[in-house]
Amino acid sequence: MREITLSQAVNEAIAEEMRRDETVFLMGEDVAEAGTPFKVLSGLVEEFGTGRVIDTPIAEPGFVGLAVGAAMTGGRPVVDLMFGDFLYLVMDQLCNQAAKQHYMSGGKLTVPMVLRTNLGATRRSAAQHSQSLQALVAHIPGLKVAMPSSAYEAKGLMKTAIRDNNPVVIFEDKLMYQDKAPIPEEDYLIPFGEAHIKREGSDITLIGTSSMVQVAEAAADMLSAEGISAEVIDPRTLVPLDEAALVESVKRTSRAIVIDEGHQSYGVTSEIASRLNEKAFYHLDAPVLRMGAMDVPVPFSPALEDITVPTPEGVAENARKLCSGELIHAA
Amino acid sequence: MQRDDQTVTRRDVTMPQLGMAQDAGKIVSWLKAPGDAVAKGEALFEVETDKATMEVEAQAAGFLTGVAAAEGDDVPVGAVIARISDSAEDDTPAPAAPVAEVPADALPEGHSVTMPQLGMAQDTGLLVGWLKSPGDAVAAADVLFEVETDKSTMEVEAGRDGYLAATLAQAGEEVPVGGPVAVISNAAPDNPVARSVAAAPAPPAQEAKPEPAAEPARKPAAPQPVLQPTGGRILASPKARRLALEQGLDLARLAEAGHPQPYHVSDLDTLRSLPAVTPAAEAGEASRRLVAEVPEDGVPAFAAWAAAAHGLTDADAILAGLTAASLPDPGPVAVERHGTMTTYALPADRALSGVAETGDDPALILRDLRGSRLTNVEMGGESTPVLTLTPKATGLTLTLECAASRLDARAAIQLLTDVADRVEQPLRHLL
Amino acid sequence: MAKAKTNTEDYLRMYRQMVRIRTFEDNANQLYLSAKMPGLTHMYSGEEGVAVGICEALTDSDRITSTHRGHGHCVAKGANFKQMFCELLGKEEGYCRGKGGSMHIADQSHGNLGANAIVGGSMGIATGSALRAKLQGADDVTVCFFGDGATAQGLLYEVMNMAALWNLPVIYACENNGYSEYTKTEEIAAGSITARAEAFGIEAHTVDGQDVLAVNELTQDLVARARRGEGPFFLELETYRYHGHHVGDINREYYRSKDEEKDWKENRDPIVRFRGWLVEQGIATEDEIEAMNAEIETDATEAVAYAEAARYPDVSEVDMHVHSD
Repeated sequence: MREITLSQAVNEAIAEEMRRDETVFLMGEDVAEAGTPFKVLSGLVEEFGTGRVIDTPIAEPGFVGLAVGAAMTGGRPVVDLMFGDFLYLVMDQLCNQAAKQHYMSGGKLTVPMVLRTNLGATRRSAAQHSQSLQALVAHIPGLKVAMPSSAYEAKGLMKTAIRDNNPVVIFEDKLMYQDKAPIPEEDYLIPFGEAHIKREGSDITLIGTSSMVQVAEAAADMLSAEGISAEVIDPRTLVPLDEAALVESVKRTSRAIVIDEGHQSYGVTSEIASRLNEKAFYHLDAPVLRMGAMDVPVPFSPALEDITVPTPEGVAENARKLCSGELIHAA
Repeated sequence: MQRDDQTVTRRDVTMPQLGMAQDAGKIVSWLKAPGDAVAKGEALFEVETDKATMEVEAQAAGFLTGVAAAEGDDVPVGAVIARISDSAEDDTPAPAAPVAEVPADALPEGHSVTMPQLGMAQDTGLLVGWLKSPGDAVAAADVLFEVETDKSTMEVEAGRDGYLAATLAQAGEEVPVGGPVAVISNAAPDNPVARSVAAAPAPPAQEAKPEPAAEPARKPAAPQPVLQPTGGRILASPKARRLALEQGLDLARLAEAGHPQPYHVSDLDTLRSLPAVTPAAEAGEASRRLVAEVPEDGVPAFAAWAAAAHGLTDADAILAGLTAASLPDPGPVAVERHGTMTTYALPADRALSGVAETGDDPALILRDLRGSRLTNVEMGGESTPVLTLTPKATGLTLTLECAASRLDARAAIQLLTDVADRVEQPLRHLL
Repeated sequence: MAKAKTNTEDYLRMYRQMVRIRTFEDNANQLYLSAKMPGLTHMYSGEEGVAVGICEALTDSDRITSTHRGHGHCVAKGANFKQMFCELLGKEEGYCRGKGGSMHIADQSHGNLGANAIVGGSMGIATGSALRAKLQGADDVTVCFFGDGATAQGLLYEVMNMAALWNLPVIYACENNGYSEYTKTEEIAAGSITARAEAFGIEAHTVDGQDVLAVNELTQDLVARARRGEGPFFLELETYRYHGHHVGDINREYYRSKDEEKDWKENRDPIVRFRGWLVEQGIATEDEIEAMNAEIETDATEAVAYAEAARYPDVSEVDMHVHSD
């Protein structure tokens, strides 16, 4: 099996789907010759031309609105939103328009579009280019939300998203674009709503999303050396959520920490922890812990920024407490 | 589009919905009289809402007929108040416009006196009677009305000085706890109101809780969590609790044994390793021990007589029968001797000849140690009372032992006294 | 009055569609006033010449996006009364199975991508539909209806920029009825409305929206040119709404006078004007027109009765259509 970067995986997924289905097209700021600031889309305009790889003005609500209209009338746009932080600019088009068309029309209209964007702090980009806003869109009925945690997931989830008949928002971790993972030579899809057990364990379940899967795995390594067996699960999509797999894992291990890079309050970790409490309560031997980003705008100074996000050390420390029965109240 | 010259069928004229949150409109004036010809778009009547007065236009051309609402009426939105017909003579009446319910006796302003909660689990109170009349001046301590709950009848005071401006329930009516019963106004009311619970619309805004004359039952203080040993709430994980329940383990024993809370699944191993519960635990319970002495054991002679005269050859049955007859509620009595135990039941007619063996659990064990060398026993009360017979130089010692919870002191004394009498002189104390 | 069509049937259909809109709105208004209709609604009465003049220049494969004041566009694009009234009353047989209501009726079978309750909310959708047509080499045109109030939304300028850059087959139809909700348009819009489009190099026209033939003639020309890749275009249609911003907006004198309303109704009504022209040209007699009116009235009355008696959707439908399969 070959190894490619997450960036190459996204590029391959889009290229393959554009070859397969000529209604698929790309649009966004500097997606063509520039191939985006992250160079994720480099080379696509050479193959598909400016007719299907469309540079737009810097007008996020405008081009997301165009994508909604194109999707409602037979196109399959893949829209590049350069930074996840710009979601705030497009909320009406995404949440009032794209998310609701199918429902408001009683099932007549569909909006098969993909909004590619990113998440993740610790890139020294400060408060308006570092946010992880997946909870915001996962809250809106009608949208689907995918959170790839490696190149393998990035490719399989992107291809599934492009073929899905609903608006899908995909968050890529901008720090992982150069991370490599083994990828099959052949075509593959990753179905939505199927969690992946990254490693099995018996003492505690670490549920991580996107960038936090790595953090969970690193914590599991540390714990393993101390004789604590941690299971790591990646839900892969927040909507739909493979609740059953998460609940089953926690029933086995009886302890859980949920880790996501979005702000902790009212966030993804809160939602998943709450479901575990509801569905696995009588199997819990310790409170389910949430570990999200601190509830502060992301600071610029590295000295400050690095302490706002969950770390492997922090996850391991909490896991130790839970397994020893020491911790009664959530941190 | 012009449709004035077109034949129009009979159409309803309704009270229009004019505001965003409007329920009714008041007809200020009719601008057309019944029978008048009206054109589409012509003003028909004027309506007053909370905001403004507006003209309402005819939605069709024709003749105004069947006018069912008068000037000054408040009419609910959507109600039919007239018709526009193709004939001025159309006499089909419009359905009577339901005049909006504006209570003629709108409540005077003041403080509401509500039905107090007097019992622990009481939803309503029965208004027994009024001690003041609407319009009366009242002082705070004046008794306004009497209420009957499941327990008793109590007087409820006005709670403030003023005037009884409204009574909202009649004698004999049930009023929900917290529901309004009266209104006390500061100034003498112009039109004091008296009505029944059934007629009451919404309660007035301000509420002043009256002090009931009788002290309401005090709520028990919330139990304080007790972290250490026994009795209080035990802190344990949901899984530890579930497993303990499934496996019949008692987490309280961990607490009693002094293990620190909270408990997790791993603590269940500790719990399993605690020594098993033994009767010693029950021995810890208060025990009764009573001793009686009889100068002469009358039983052997009696048994011999019974065998000769009546053919009753089982001496133990006779002994059991005599003892059972002493029990306040005669139950089976077991005779235990040399490690064997036989249980006998006394028949309902209490005939000694009817005493027979039974498989039921004994209500009392008669431990016969007359043939042994033991003279004094102190075994501790067991769950079944034990009456031990031990020999003396002459006569017998009778020792009754039981858990304190099984027999109260009086019953224990009575039992042992009766048995002692019967053992000494069976014939005089026959069943 | 400008003369665009020579086909008698086309003229009569234009008249018929305008009367259908007026009749639909009269009945919808009655449903609201009699408290039979849930929610509230925005009447299109008075603006019929705009919707009909434009939609009569379109085919079923051409798309429109509509507004909160959308019943007129929906009827003009070919929708039927029964499904529309059912939708207004939240019934199962409505165009959207009762899930959309007055402000979200969509009728895909006739190319109506739906009304939109966000002012200016559908500008992106309309432009995106035109982008799709261009990318796929389709020759359909999309008309984006919006009001003068929506010209204050920034989205318009983002999408007009892209439409102009890429020559998209979209026509921005600004229905200027003079009022942005309860405020005169001149109080919320600086400068000229058409100049906004012209700044992007978009050809813009102002037309009397109460003259259905003028609207139709201009639109036919622009649609044909848009199909040839000469779009986008911008239309400012001068028109007037007879009712308030919404049905409950009765007391309007603080923002416009009764005399003004009376003047538009008596002197500029698009239906009255076109009817007079039809008779004058000998295309229809008064009797024929009256018969047509009566037939439409009956049609509406029956549709209302049908909708009132129709079933509500089963409660099991509440979580259907959140996602598409």
